[in-house]
Amino acid sequence: MSTGTPPLPNPPAKPQVKSLHCPQCGAAITLRSFQQAVTVVCESCHSVLDARDPTLKILQQFQAATGELAPIVPLGTRGKLRGTDYEVIGFQRRSIESDGVRYDWHEYLLFNPYKGFRYLSEYQGHWNDITVCKDLPILRTGLVPSANYLGEVYRHFQTAEATTGYVIGEFPWQVRVGERATVTDYVHPPRVLSCEQGSGETTWSVGEYTYPQEIWKAFNLPGQPPEPIGVFENQPAPATVSLRQAWLAFLLLTVFLLGLMAFNDMVASKEPVFSANYQLAPGAPKGEASFVTDVFELKGRTSNVEIKTAANVSNSWIYLNYALINQDTGKAWDFGREVSYYSGRDSDGSWTEGSRSDTVIVPSVPPGHYYLRIEPEADARHPQISYSVLIRRDVPVFKFYGYALLALFLPVLYVTFKSISFERARWSESDHPILQTESD
Amino acid sequence: MFSPLYLLYGFFVLGCVGMAEYRGWSMDAMNEVKNVPRSIRDNPGAYRGIYSSYHHYTGGK
Repeated sequence: MSTGTPPLPNPPAKPQVKSLHCPQCGAAITLRSFQQAVTVVCESCHSVLDARDPTLKILQQFQAATGELAPIVPLGTRGKLRGTDYEVIGFQRRSIESDGVRYDWHEYLLFNPYKGFRYLSEYQGHWNDITVCKDLPILRTGLVPSANYLGEVYRHFQTAEATTGYVIGEFPWQVRVGERATVTDYVHPPRVLSCEQGSGETTWSVGEYTYPQEIWKAFNLPGQPPEPIGVFENQPAPATVSLRQAWLAFLLLTVFLLGLMAFNDMVASKEPVFSANYQLAPGAPKGEASFVTDVFELKGRTSNVEIKTAANVSNSWIYLNYALINQDTGKAWDFGREVSYYSGRDSDGSWTEGSRSDTVIVPSVPPGHYYLRIEPEADARHPQISYSVLIRRDVPVFKFYGYALLALFLPVLYVTFKSISFERARWSESDHPILQTESD
Repeated sequence: MFSPLYLLYGFFVLGCVGMAEYRGWSMDAMNEVKNVPRSIRDNPGAYRGIYSSYHHYTGGK
């Protein structure tokens, strides 16, 4: 949002409050900015008076709307903002209308005899600390127009017709209720650049998003500030996250992960230590179905063991109860694996289900002498099933890399989603309600 | 602030993967049994794993 159209004044020689009386109602009027004041508004009868006229000539009189909100920071309040003492000397309510809805915001005029004027704007709990630009921004046209100010690019946010609806206090310009100006805002969070055109004048101001707590602290206001509503045009994203950096970090880590995968695949021995073919006779087993393999040796450090089973099943299954047993220690890894494969044709065409092979990884198996106990099972009316068992030592587990990639991706996805939601909310209030991110 | 923390987290994840690969971890369900009798080599039927008769019939489409 923008301020009014004040030129920067020359600082007065000596700060002194001047007391006068309203020619309309006789109420006391205090001039806090001395000869800097161009107009002063009587708080009692809402007469806009010419502060430069010794008799305080009445310039305008307006009827304040019932229920007009009093300034959150009362006139005359002094506070220290960014290290400088200021006094609140003026307050105005301005509004724009969009799609038949009126949006009001409030502007506070602050004065320091040596530093001049400064402005605060407040919209639904969002505050901006505003000063008049020291340099003229350079405008650029395009799909989304922009303005370059002091080396920073501000994107066009909104252009609207602002109307002054209520004023009290004093102002260094000819303030009027009903005054209209075209306000164009460009944003570069946490800053906003505002161009205000009206009465043949163009004024540029730059504002910085200020958290309400800072305002409360600066002016020693009672209680807690109301929670800001929605996302404001130049409100910084809640998390100080650069999406570009986050994605770059993700890419870097992914490259490391792929490198780690290639390295582990290269150094893994993948040594075949046992291989055998077996037959499961058709029908119900006659006698004990379980058997044990020859003893094989697992060498090297404690590592995994891969057991791959392949069977010539077709519209049938075979289930194998396995136990990998350490002959030396009596420790066993007990597990069951099923190999099943089905295929056919129906109205949707041909289909298949399952697989003729299965792989399982036995974790952290110390070196030693091992054998496998195998107990095959199948359907009672099964045909003869041939199956093979291949055991390999120290194989890479690619599942880990998939899960790791997911673990790396989820935080980036989360911050991206949060950032997009925030920017979507920000830009939905603009003239360009399209998806744009702060880091673009 | 996100990136240093995220990088730290990322290298922790990579470290876990490296450790899992080095130690030979697995995600497959397995039951560890201690002190299996040596007689199994002579009488395999004497041993019954907990996965015995745990099969399921998928039955096709």
